[in-house]
Amino acid sequence: MMGGPIASLHPLSRADGSASYKCPSTGSNVLGSVNAPVELPGRRDALKPEDATIEVFVKPGTAPSGVGERYVEGILRGALSRIVLGREKGYPRRGVVITLAILGGESIGRGGSYLPLLPALLHTSILALLSASVPLSMSLSATMLAVNPSGEIVRKPSITDARAAASLHVLAFTSKGHLLLSESEGRFNFDTWDKVYENALAVCHGTSTLSSDGDVAMTENMDTQPLEGFVRDTVEDHIRAEYAWKVDAA
Amino acid sequence: MASTAADSTAQAAPTAPPSLILPPSQFARLQPHAYLLAHLSPPASSQQPSLRANGRSPSQFRITSANTGSLTHTNGSAVVRLGDTTAVCGIKAEILHTEDIPSWSVSHSSSSLASNKRRKLTSPAENLGADREDGSEETDDDDDSYIEDFSLLVPNLSLSTGCAPGFIPGAPPSALAQSLSHQILSLLRSTRIVRSKDLQIWYQRPNLGREELEVHNEDEQMDVDVEQDRSGGATPEPREIKAFWVLYIDIMIISLAGNPFDAAWLSVLAALRDTKLPRAWWDVDNEIVVCSDLVSEARKLSLRGLPVASSFGVFEADAAAGWRAVLIPDAEEERKIADSERKGIRRRWILADPDGYEEGLSLERVCLVVDRDQGGSGEVVIVKLEKNGGFAVDRKELKQLVEISAQRWEDINQILGQC
Amino acid sequence: MSSPLILLPGDDVPADYLPSNASAPLRLGTGLRLLSQPNPTPASTPSNHVLTATQAGILSTDNRRNAVSILPSSNRRYIPTPGDLVVAQVHHSSADYFHCMITPQSPHALLGQLSFEGATKKTRPMLRGGDLLYARVLSTGLGAGTEVELTCVNPATGKAEPGGLGPLNGGMVFDISTGMAARLIRASSSSSDQEDGVAGLVVLDELGKKLEKAGGFEIAVGRNGKVWVDCSNSEEDAVKATVAIGRCLTTIDEHNLNPTDQRKLVTKVLRDMKIES
Repeated sequence: MMGGPIASLHPLSRADGSASYKCPSTGSNVLGSVNAPVELPGRRDALKPEDATIEVFVKPGTAPSGVGERYVEGILRGALSRIVLGREKGYPRRGVVITLAILGGESIGRGGSYLPLLPALLHTSILALLSASVPLSMSLSATMLAVNPSGEIVRKPSITDARAAASLHVLAFTSKGHLLLSESEGRFNFDTWDKVYENALAVCHGTSTLSSDGDVAMTENMDTQPLEGFVRDTVEDHIRAEYAWKVDAA
Repeated sequence: MASTAADSTAQAAPTAPPSLILPPSQFARLQPHAYLLAHLSPPASSQQPSLRANGRSPSQFRITSANTGSLTHTNGSAVVRLGDTTAVCGIKAEILHTEDIPSWSVSHSSSSLASNKRRKLTSPAENLGADREDGSEETDDDDDSYIEDFSLLVPNLSLSTGCAPGFIPGAPPSALAQSLSHQILSLLRSTRIVRSKDLQIWYQRPNLGREELEVHNEDEQMDVDVEQDRSGGATPEPREIKAFWVLYIDIMIISLAGNPFDAAWLSVLAALRDTKLPRAWWDVDNEIVVCSDLVSEARKLSLRGLPVASSFGVFEADAAAGWRAVLIPDAEEERKIADSERKGIRRRWILADPDGYEEGLSLERVCLVVDRDQGGSGEVVIVKLEKNGGFAVDRKELKQLVEISAQRWEDINQILGQC
Repeated sequence: MSSPLILLPGDDVPADYLPSNASAPLRLGTGLRLLSQPNPTPASTPSNHVLTATQAGILSTDNRRNAVSILPSSNRRYIPTPGDLVVAQVHHSSADYFHCMITPQSPHALLGQLSFEGATKKTRPMLRGGDLLYARVLSTGLGAGTEVELTCVNPATGKAEPGGLGPLNGGMVFDISTGMAARLIRASSSSSDQEDGVAGLVVLDELGKKLEKAGGFEIAVGRNGKVWVDCSNSEEDAVKATVAIGRCLTTIDEHNLNPTDQRKLVTKVLRDMKIES
């Protein structure tokens, strides 16, 4: 069994906030930076008067960015703009610029599915936003689940699992338990999705909501902490290290 | 509809001087959010149903029409109208020789004829007796990797100049056009709607020996099994793929009034159903691919299923309308509110097929692509689900949306059946 | 003080962490916001307001001022706030203003030519590009694209309050993190006899003791992450002592040293630089 994800906060010193995130099962490795609030010159007419403008740029590691990146940028912008409080002081009419560089993992060809990378991109963005102290209404966590042709739900699917899957699902939950994002492809019916939802909620928020169908997934859930806790621990560890003088003194 | 808006403005400011009363069109521009909200939540005393500003009920789609075969120089084409959103799709088939695919000879041991000359499509020559139309096989071969590996489907979507006020001439493809292109390409791949078998152009070696016939039949069942070919490397296979059809699928949104994806996908679907490929075979003497010009010999594509897209937008009564920011309730509390919602005031509406005006007011989007199982049961199968940008749509809401989408599938099936 | 509470965005501030002074109004600092319950049900508590964090950080309460806020990340970019003391560098001057750099990435801040103690048209300082200033942020304006204005004088009294505002001559500037700058300001403004120093910093006291013989030093800490240090009193050792102080400050900042290590570092650096103490 592979371990949990690895993340670090503020690896870049020049950006306002940054984070790196590595997911061992899919091998995706993303480095993200956030600059906020910044002036966005030359686009005065496109800026909202009472809200911040969120811009997301996704840079693939080896290929020039193409239509797939525009698409995933749109998805990320949609999800994150519900979390960033763009109306707080200092943010209206300014920009929150998030740049995500894909350092490792499977490269995605034209028209290829972006789902395996999506959780890593979301986690990197939220950690970078937290490290940049951008005001947020809540945090989030995301996971990908695969349903294999025999109808079983595979947690932490590898790239090979994802290729062989009958359907792939990425779900993101806010720290308050809302379903923020759900992207699925492949053939499935609503009942399957409902089971995927239960499983994803368990992966992100712990076992509390896992229903009576205690399948194999239950046992493997024990050795890994929920992703929500992972995001929290990463941030708390960073703050503890930064404020060591204060924490130790207390 | 205009009268309703006028009523609500008049109610809001009954004592205001006449000069301050705005006509509905101006009110809609100045206060778009309040305008739509006023329509969706009419005062309880008025006994009016909750209608959108465009007169539709929340789950009602716009009038949809489809017309196929309008473009004569394409292999298949369609014009689809979804209210004021109009999409034109043209499909052009071109021949891709396997010799021109760099990786072909590496991955497939089939390039016995090493010739790098450029081939041209010429007028049909006298057909060789040995050539035979394939396609009679009924096996649903699952090897569609050709389509992905060699990019046999090339969709491109453009939002033409002037389709909506924001689109100016000479601008590079907008992020919207690019992401729509990606969505269509990935949906074409994940639904595997086009069969790779339909796009293959074969060369049938003439039968020379008696045993050859047996081998030939065996291989035909195997279809394109590369391993099989390799293992029996010494004997030349009787049939081989000489070329592919590449489908260039160009979609143009000539008028954009919201929900471009549904319109674009429906136009692709209608155009694919309309597409006819001429009969083509490999002429071994001239080493070219030859096409028949007989219309009667042209074949339609045999598509897998009929995936239909339905998009929704979520309109929310602005929580920050008051001066103070409002606590966003936890998901658990949210469900309790949702249950009691029917008694009290509604805060959010899920609008099917949002028009441009409504799209600008909704952050949360849901896009569902559903199909019905062809295998008799008619069960609704979701082939793609996208939900993004908000908290309003949860499990219960999605279940309802799947039902609405299934209903929509019936309508589209009927519309496409007529054209 | 109880163990520090770390909050993430969306977390509610527990009521028992708030200052208990009920008579004065509660002051909200950065990283917190007051939210109202959308549908107050009769069952809920009488106060339907909730304090929620919007940033990740340690909750800090000040019982004296009845204030509560979240300590920001110490590596963040400096964003000017009125009242902050900054070390600025003159870029160029125009008829009425000096155009100063506070941070490399932000537009120039304006400093009025007459915003100095006792300055008139004739006595105003003649500053050139590259000159350093210790100034206070007067205003930041609202919204995007507005200019930051600096001053070297208290507009109410016409004095350079606190002392030291104005041009900085000689010395050197070192870059530190904004969090370190805030700690240094706290440490230098309040002299305490605590063993661990103020805000966990003993480096200034230690350096002051050790360098007393050599003539002492002057220091100006800017919130924008810049420290100006000058040891012009210590004649031939002036440059050496300045570099030593800068090296101590940047090393402590980088490695988050605790008071014991800070003392060790000061001794080591001074020994390495061959400065007698």
